[in-house]
Amino acid sequence: MPTLMLLCSAAWPCAAAPDAAAGAAADAGWILQKLAQPTPMRTAFVELRGSAMLKAPLRIEGEYQRPDNATLVRAVRSPYVETTTLRNGEATIARAGKTPRKFALSRVPELAGLQASFGALLSGDRALLEKHYRLTPQGTRQQWTLVLAPLDAEMKASVRDITLYGRGAELRCIETRPLKGDLQRTLLAGAANDAAKASSVDALAALCRAGAAR
Amino acid sequence: MLSARSRIALALLWLAVLALAAWAITQRLQLSGDLRKFMPAAETPAQKLLIDELGEGPGSRLLLMSISGADVPTLAAQSQALRAALAARAEFALVANGGDASLEAIPERLRPYRYLLSDTFDARPLDEATLREELDARVQDLGSPAASLVEPLLPADPTLETLKLAERWQPANAPQRLHEVWFDRAGDKALLVAQTRAAGFDPTGQQAAVDAIHADFASIAAGTRSELVLTGPGAFSVEIGGRTAAEAQWIGMVDTIGLILLLGIAYRSWKMPILGALPLATAGLAGLGAVALLFDGVHGITIAFGFTLIGVVQDYPIHLFSHQRPGMSPWSNARSLWPTLATGVASTCIAYVTFLFSGVDGLKQLAVFTIAGLGAAAISTRFLLPALIDPAPRDFADSPMLAKLWRGIARLPRPRGSLAMLALVALGVIAFAPGPFWQNDLSKLTPVPTDALAKDAVLREELGAPDVRYVLTLKGKSEDQVLQASERLRPALDRLVATGALAGYDLASRYLPSAQVQRARQQALPARDRLQSMLGTVLADSPFNADAFEPFVADIEAAKRAPLLSRADLQGTPLAASVAGLLLSGRDHATALVSLNGLQDPVAVAKVAAANGAQLLDMKEASESLVAAYRGRVLAALAFAALLLTATVWIALRQPRRVLRVLLPMALTTLLILAVLRGLGVEMNLFHLVALILAAGLGLDYALFFDHAGDDRADQLRTLHALIVCSLMTLLVFSLLALSSIPVLRAIGTTVAIGVFANFVLALLVSRQPVEEALDAAA
Repeated sequence: MPTLMLLCSAAWPCAAAPDAAAGAAADAGWILQKLAQPTPMRTAFVELRGSAMLKAPLRIEGEYQRPDNATLVRAVRSPYVETTTLRNGEATIARAGKTPRKFALSRVPELAGLQASFGALLSGDRALLEKHYRLTPQGTRQQWTLVLAPLDAEMKASVRDITLYGRGAELRCIETRPLKGDLQRTLLAGAANDAAKASSVDALAALCRAGAAR
Repeated sequence: MLSARSRIALALLWLAVLALAAWAITQRLQLSGDLRKFMPAAETPAQKLLIDELGEGPGSRLLLMSISGADVPTLAAQSQALRAALAARAEFALVANGGDASLEAIPERLRPYRYLLSDTFDARPLDEATLREELDARVQDLGSPAASLVEPLLPADPTLETLKLAERWQPANAPQRLHEVWFDRAGDKALLVAQTRAAGFDPTGQQAAVDAIHADFASIAAGTRSELVLTGPGAFSVEIGGRTAAEAQWIGMVDTIGLILLLGIAYRSWKMPILGALPLATAGLAGLGAVALLFDGVHGITIAFGFTLIGVVQDYPIHLFSHQRPGMSPWSNARSLWPTLATGVASTCIAYVTFLFSGVDGLKQLAVFTIAGLGAAAISTRFLLPALIDPAPRDFADSPMLAKLWRGIARLPRPRGSLAMLALVALGVIAFAPGPFWQNDLSKLTPVPTDALAKDAVLREELGAPDVRYVLTLKGKSEDQVLQASERLRPALDRLVATGALAGYDLASRYLPSAQVQRARQQALPARDRLQSMLGTVLADSPFNADAFEPFVADIEAAKRAPLLSRADLQGTPLAASVAGLLLSGRDHATALVSLNGLQDPVAVAKVAAANGAQLLDMKEASESLVAAYRGRVLAALAFAALLLTATVWIALRQPRRVLRVLLPMALTTLLILAVLRGLGVEMNLFHLVALILAAGLGLDYALFFDHAGDDRADQLRTLHALIVCSLMTLLVFSLLALSSIPVLRAIGTTVAIGVFANFVLALLVSRQPVEEALDAAA
């Protein structure tokens, strides 16, 4: 129980605000409860991948799917077709005409984080999430952010934090800030649909953070 | 006669001299665990290879590990941690767990060589189309979840040759990988392999390696339920060594207490155990000293066997003690026993001389050790020990208990026909008992507990470790010549794999291509200008920056100009270990080995090999023929030794009747031992043979002393006393060995224990002369 009490004090505003109002402050428990969705589910995403080697950040579009509680699929549609399946701590990357490649998530802490956070988020598994991150909710239930600061030493070495942006029950954007290199941004659901029209990095950043309480 | 005080002083002086000698010998004693010293010279190519592999070969340096008892991610993490910890240690040349750590282990200077080592561009050259396709794939990599893994490699290596090589250098038939480390098929054991720097039969080096593994695993697995299984020749020798030491310790302790009690009771003097031990200690040190002087290194087996064989000298002082009686000075006692003692020692020593011509270094050492030991013990019993003995307070011939026992024995019928029957029955059992007579398995020379062997077999199978029985060899004048030959052999091997005759193979050219191939690859690489113009075209319409691949251009240029990679350049990399096991070279010849996995059809493989200038060697056949050749030499030496021994006894005793009486118990006992062991289904090995020699030596002494007693009742009683003490002592020591869990100790223990008993009984019944008048007097 001490962790929970600590969390409650961290999410102090929740206790002070009226309960059911849309303008009420968002707490981690409320956010997670709202985000939880039964499997199977799917949601569109738009991702920007920046690199010093690239002329411009790579814009990747596709769909995240959760066929069951233990599996997360990242299906890329554009600019190429590729399916990544995260399951049992392993990632399998399949491309047309190639034998699938496998690697352990433990070797890519960012990805392990994604699997843990995304999976835990979508299943509403707060305990699992709190095993790996310190959760800092901000904003109102209408527009909230949840910052996930890694607790594992290994993940801390590569990821500064992960910020979730949402509106009500909709998770709209995930920003991963690595220790080195560019910020990586994944737009989801409504934000991904809106992103279809936007093309510049700034426009996407604005969409991601639209109205966020930060 | 010296005073009691000066006798003690003299004994102490003797001890001091022995201690000093022990110190001096250990200073120059080099203990060797190299089993090859105990092998006859190899004659066939397979035998030569086997002998090479036995001591220094990579097979003998491999330690196999499995970690089980936790979930897959935990086991994988522990496997990685253990690999990292062990790789950092000096004891190991190579540690592999399936993780591609080989990348980090390859020094920076060798990185450009990836373009000479990889066969990617053999089929399709590094041209514009290849570059475009590769870079497209890299864009996808950057957009994939694995981006952070690949990104650091890209500027210098856009075709990911490093990763391809790391994958290719995985063992040919590697186990499945879960979480990037090797796991068994069931997926509940993480598997690792380590190659020690120390040779397989270097006990100290292997002990250090095994200790390191256990220590590192203990700290890694602390707080979890994970368990480590460690097997391999080194682990076995350490385990056997440890168990032998532990058992030898308690057996030694019980022996010591038993001997002190026995001698104390038999002679009612606290000095006797000490005096009795002096000739034995002298013998051991004399043996060690002689071997240390005459040979470069003393084999561990020499010492173990040697001390077993000189155990007979423990009897020498006993004879002296038992024949002491009031009114007789120890000196005249020693003088009267000397001809008998000397006959026994001389005939045994002359028998051991045959070992000097066996052509086996280990047996020569054993002969020198034993001859020096027996000689020193006999001489010290004759010329030193009498000075230390207190005047006897009693004559054992006067003991009423002994007299009663003697009368009982004397009443027993003299066996004649029954002995012939016994011999016939024994011969029958020896000839017709089911099961093989000889133990031909070379590995049984250093016997490993069966459960450990079973674990090892499972691990070996899971790890896809190469077939231990068959190996292909290619011979040539130089390393490069055999590397080229093995490259030519590969298509044929691949066809064998395709037809299922073979599951997989591994050869040195997989890691180190021949100069010819390297040169061809070098020439096929584009020149700097051409590469830059190709890159310019491809990058113009690609998401990559125009200058993203400058390090790649530099590496290709370095590879194009670099001097060809040779075996010497691999020194200090994990590749060196892989190549060392598969490429053996001498001054003017080289041999490339092809290790095989899952060999289904040896005949087909042998045919293909022969057609391609290679040879399929059967190591099992080689090892068995080696053991047989070895045994042949030992048996020939023994047969000759038996003749010499008979001749010596004949010369000493001169009467056919006496010679027969002395030799019969020994010969009959040898038959009985063989019959009992065969009847129990025991397969004979070298240890049994050595123990048989000891048993025969004991029998000879027993018989000689009974013969010496002649028909004098008192002397027979004293001899009986001496032999009861001697045989009880020997029986105690070797019965305890027979209880040991170590097969070697058990083999020696049972053989000698049976031998002592049979020799004692037969010596009483056969060698002792009838004493008519004494029997009448008693009646």
